[in-house]
Amino acid sequence: MDTSENLPTYIAVLDVPEEKIEILPGASADLTSVTFSIKEEDHTLGNSLRWSIMQNPQVDFCGYSIPHPSEAKTNLRIQTTDRSNAIDAMNKGLDDLRSVCQIMKARLHQRLKEGNYAHTE
Amino acid sequence: MNGSAHVGDQNAPRVRIRSLDKTNVDFVLSNTSLSVANSLRRVMIAEVPTMAIDLVEFYENTTVLADEYIAHRLGLIPLVSHTVDKFKYTRDCTCAEYCKECSVEFTLHIKCTESGTRTVYSSELISSNKDVVPVLETEDDRGAILVKMRKGQELNVHCIAKKGVAKEHSKWSPCAAVAFEYDPHNNLRHLDYWYEKSIKDEWPLSKNALEEQERDPSAPFDYKAEPTTFYFNVETIGCLDPQEVVTKATRVLQEKLGGLQLALDEDQAPDAAANVDDGEPWV
Ligand SMILES: [Zn+2]
Repeated sequence: MDTSENLPTYIAVLDVPEEKIEILPGASADLTSVTFSIKEEDHTLGNSLRWSIMQNPQVDFCGYSIPHPSEAKTNLRIQTTDRSNAIDAMNKGLDDLRSVCQIMKARLHQRLKEGNYAHTE
Repeated sequence: MNGSAHVGDQNAPRVRIRSLDKTNVDFVLSNTSLSVANSLRRVMIAEVPTMAIDLVEFYENTTVLADEYIAHRLGLIPLVSHTVDKFKYTRDCTCAEYCKECSVEFTLHIKCTESGTRTVYSSELISSNKDVVPVLETEDDRGAILVKMRKGQELNVHCIAKKGVAKEHSKWSPCAAVAFEYDPHNNLRHLDYWYEKSIKDEWPLSKNALEEQERDPSAPFDYKAEPTTFYFNVETIGCLDPQEVVTKATRVLQEKLGGLQLALDEDQAPDAAANVDDGEPWV
């Protein structure tokens, strides 16, 4: 029996998450204590974002974990003082880390333009 | 300087390139955290996109190697990927299987008609796109050996190269190796060396040790000290230039953060309220 006609030739879009980021149940009402769940991210984003968020003096606690190695999911918890909230802290952390990357890229371009290094072909 | 208003100049990373050639870039990243340096390292290895053969159709294979064996070898051939940004990922493309926007086609049809061994090299692949071709080191480099044939044997394949990242399959990695070191004198004691008689004799210092001072052994240990200077050496396999790998990696990181921020904005207010606990807030 030939069933090949009914099979799709290519199975598209299996790995695009519906929601990139969500807030897990148990967040405090004033949103000062929130655990975010981020899909399709790992230590690459988790660890540096955790660092960036911790630089904020309004943040009391920030930590991340990858609950299971075969699930592409990173949980990130933020607890802030009552003068801020976790969503603002997350946004600031993302902004700050992005500008760190921006500066890193700019400095790299600058150094490459200066050409002040050993060059061998 | 043009430092960020949020982070401030004291937190702005510095970069110094020590050497650069066709396949290697040696640079020092300083005034930043281990987390950021490690993210850069991880992105360079696993998330900078390149092109690699992903689908292979066999019309004829009478060589001694099995189809899947040759398909695997074809996948591992480095392809010049300077134009990778012009391609879409097939999953983001409107086509059903593959098209010009998301792939490059290669053909290879060789039949051995003479006595003796006919060696097939990666340079014999015929590309549909002049910018995406097998990496060759010099003018007369014939590339990697794909298969060896005897008289009467034939190989006829059609390959589709796609854009991808090494997180999915290491064939898409632009890097052969990324060397990464910090604190060469082990002042922070992040390492606990195993030794017979003497750490100094048995663990020779790297060249990076010349850039830093050894801690005074009589001084009290500074348990709050953190690493701030990171030594990188990025070695590529030829599909991208080494400096291209580093600059692309910073961009990939930025795009990751930008994407997350966008998703966060969309997710916010109405949805956030749904998961709020009505009871006591966390203490
Ligand atoms: Zn397409």
